[in-house]
Amino acid sequence: MIKLIDVTKKYDDMVLLKNFNISFEENEITCLFGPSGVGKTTIANIAANLVTVDEGEVMWTEDAVYSYVFQEPNLLSWYSVYDNIDFVLKDVYDNRKRKEVIESYLEMVELSDYKIFKPKALSGGMAQRVSIARAFAYPSNVLIMDEPFKGLDMKLKNDMISLFQKLWKESRRTVIFITHDVDEAISLSDKIYFIKNRPVEINMDIDLNNESDRESIKKILLTS
Amino acid sequence: MKSSILQSKYRNFFIIAFWITVWEILSLIINQEIYLPSPVATFKSLFDLMSDKVTYITILYSTYRTLTGFFISTFWGIILGFVCGMNKSVYNLLNPLVSIIRTVPVMSIIIIAIMWFKDTNVPVFVAFLMCFPIIWTNTIQGIASADHKLLQMCKIYNIKKIRVIKSVYFYSALPYIKAGMVSALGISWKVTSAAEVLSLPKYSIGRFLYDSKVYLEIPDLFAWTIIIILLSILFEKLLKTIFRAGKQND
Repeated sequence: MIKLIDVTKKYDDMVLLKNFNISFEENEITCLFGPSGVGKTTIANIAANLVTVDEGEVMWTEDAVYSYVFQEPNLLSWYSVYDNIDFVLKDVYDNRKRKEVIESYLEMVELSDYKIFKPKALSGGMAQRVSIARAFAYPSNVLIMDEPFKGLDMKLKNDMISLFQKLWKESRRTVIFITHDVDEAISLSDKIYFIKNRPVEINMDIDLNNESDRESIKKILLTS
Repeated sequence: MKSSILQSKYRNFFIIAFWITVWEILSLIINQEIYLPSPVATFKSLFDLMSDKVTYITILYSTYRTLTGFFISTFWGIILGFVCGMNKSVYNLLNPLVSIIRTVPVMSIIIIAIMWFKDTNVPVFVAFLMCFPIIWTNTIQGIASADHKLLQMCKIYNIKKIRVIKSVYFYSALPYIKAGMVSALGISWKVTSAAEVLSLPKYSIGRFLYDSKVYLEIPDLFAWTIIIILLSILFEKLLKTIFRAGKQND
């Protein structure tokens, strides 16, 4: 579990988080939902230990290892698809194991035939699939996904969501999922935090276990 | 495609022909070879030079000096560029020195070098000093241009620093280094010739330029200048071809 306790974060004079509290449960998909620019990425980056806090406390699981799916694929354009995944695994596995892991994840994201391709030869959706494969291939227990489906068309977005669900079922881990898309939030998350205003506040903590409540939650999120 | 290449070749031919005609007209108007020899006299000198074995030995030696200075500056420019690009303190330490090198007149450097080194090494040292700041600055700019999102990705995945340098910074800096190398090579030809004129090594284009001036063989002076220009263009094209081949092999 990751917990932010009474956290305050400022950028120059702007107070982004003030006495802010949130927790991310182990092996659950927690969604940070809210409009752009409200500070969702900062919260995720604090949880990932990429950003320090000015006040308050952050509690991590002792052996937290992170992987990240960014808004853009963030692939090394000079390396092939295979080498991009290999790049993050080099210090983790030996050669044989690495090859095995990469090939299996490339197969899962249906990109085995493209392993020698450079990222610029791939479509946006394919490149993002490489980024997802890289994040899952890395032996992390916390996965941060920062609007990973942004800018994709509807069909591609649905394909990617299915792919993510497939991979997550194969290899469960704590997921912090950032989005401002209601459908993505509802279809993927175990829990949604609706975040708005500055300093950031949580307006609701939504439990999505109950199927029948989903539609009403959707209405609330859309009208908020 | 073929016709456009042909068109471009014709166009280049006409541009060159136009400027040679302008040159011929000017030389006819001035009518004094000591100020401006005609294209015919210059090309005759060039032809005579090209029939002489010594010309080739001279070209070989000058090319050797130019390339030695260029490669030494490339090597140290990249190495120190990386060190300074990755470490602000080292950059702050080295930057004033490089700024001074950049602003000191070439002639001052040549004269100082003549006092320090033997004649044949002066052009190499001067070429090194003139080219180094270009490669160094470009390398630092290239490192600064590294995508911060890629660096963040490396941080998330705990990539070792040495591998970040090799796989992110190096590739980010590469286009800047290549551009720096191309302009440094051109400058290397210019300053090597200038340093040879003053230091007068035995086999050097600069020595022949100097002799042409002393003996008022102005067509020879023009012919040697054309040789330098052609060599500079040739090596620039060669370097660009190597870079293109490297890119295609990627």
